[in-house]
Amino acid sequence: MAQDTGGVKDAGRWITAAKPDYTALIDEKQIVTQRYGMVNVPTAVWIDERGRIVRPNEVAFIDDRFKSFTKMESAPYIEAIRDWVQNGSKSAFVLSESELKARLKPQSDSRARADVEFALGEYLYKSAKGADAIPHFKEAQRLDPDNWNYKRQAWALADADRDYGTNFRKEVEKLNGRPYYDSH
Amino acid sequence: MCKHFLVLMIVLTSGGFAAGQRTRTIVYDGIATEVSVSAAAANDLWITTSDLMRATRFAIKPQGICRDELCFPLPKNRKAEFLARKDATNWFNLTEFARLIKQPYVVDQKNAVWYFGSPAAEQNRYLASLEAPNFTLPDLNGKLHSLSDFRGKKVLLVTWASW
Repeated sequence: MAQDTGGVKDAGRWITAAKPDYTALIDEKQIVTQRYGMVNVPTAVWIDERGRIVRPNEVAFIDDRFKSFTKMESAPYIEAIRDWVQNGSKSAFVLSESELKARLKPQSDSRARADVEFALGEYLYKSAKGADAIPHFKEAQRLDPDNWNYKRQAWALADADRDYGTNFRKEVEKLNGRPYYDSH
Repeated sequence: MCKHFLVLMIVLTSGGFAAGQRTRTIVYDGIATEVSVSAAAANDLWITTSDLMRATRFAIKPQGICRDELCFPLPKNRKAEFLARKDATNWFNLTEFARLIKQPYVVDQKNAVWYFGSPAAEQNRYLASLEAPNFTLPDLNGKLHSLSDFRGKKVLLVTWASW
């Protein structure tokens, strides 16, 4: 699910290069980010044959190319996926209902408002009102400050330094060693 | 021909741009619709009941504000906050309704766009059912796929981005 306001123009060449044998979709409005309350990429959700969530949002690397930055190993996660494919609901990595309910939280009011500010920004951007979109993207970022999707997408649509007074590298430096990915 | 043109001009001038009315864009369920608004509307968005149907598919029924099987009763002692009749037109306060159903919305005054998001109950429904929220999105060729198409298979849903 490409979380890309630019749609095929931005995501298309990556999908073409990957030659996927799985279904690769393009999500221009970041609907998946919004409905599942995601804050970063890559994020994965495990969904069983009945359409029920069995592992909610978590970081999902399929190789170690970003390991120096993320400090995360991909191998245990890939093994967990294989275990689920093989053992289904008996897999130790499938969470129980009580574990799931402990992890899944109702959307906060500020996240709800951030989603709608971001969506309005996206609408204005697509209506050739890119400059008018910026205040709404900024408000979305202020309301949901840990949401990297809403930061990085907005910066990518503008001149981040000029329009937002920052950029991805500067914001990562500000973390000062705190993890870029929430690793529950 | 000329006469038809004149009639068309009159219709255009009176439709939505008559004295005391202005137009707004409402985005509801991700779909944009142009509507007329009451000039009295300052912070609130009062729209005609026919625009309500056009922009949101909600209709006013005896049991409340309804769409498909879903109905929201209006609080009995507060009906005047939602419904008004003025200039031979029935008006509905869409922003008061949004507050009633805990639906977030935001306005861009410069472009006169009102954007309505998902009501909290709808957004949070999956927390009780654990059913993965459905969506329908295109692939590279524009073909639409829904999550629900994959029932009977395990789905590893992975997000990524070019940025």
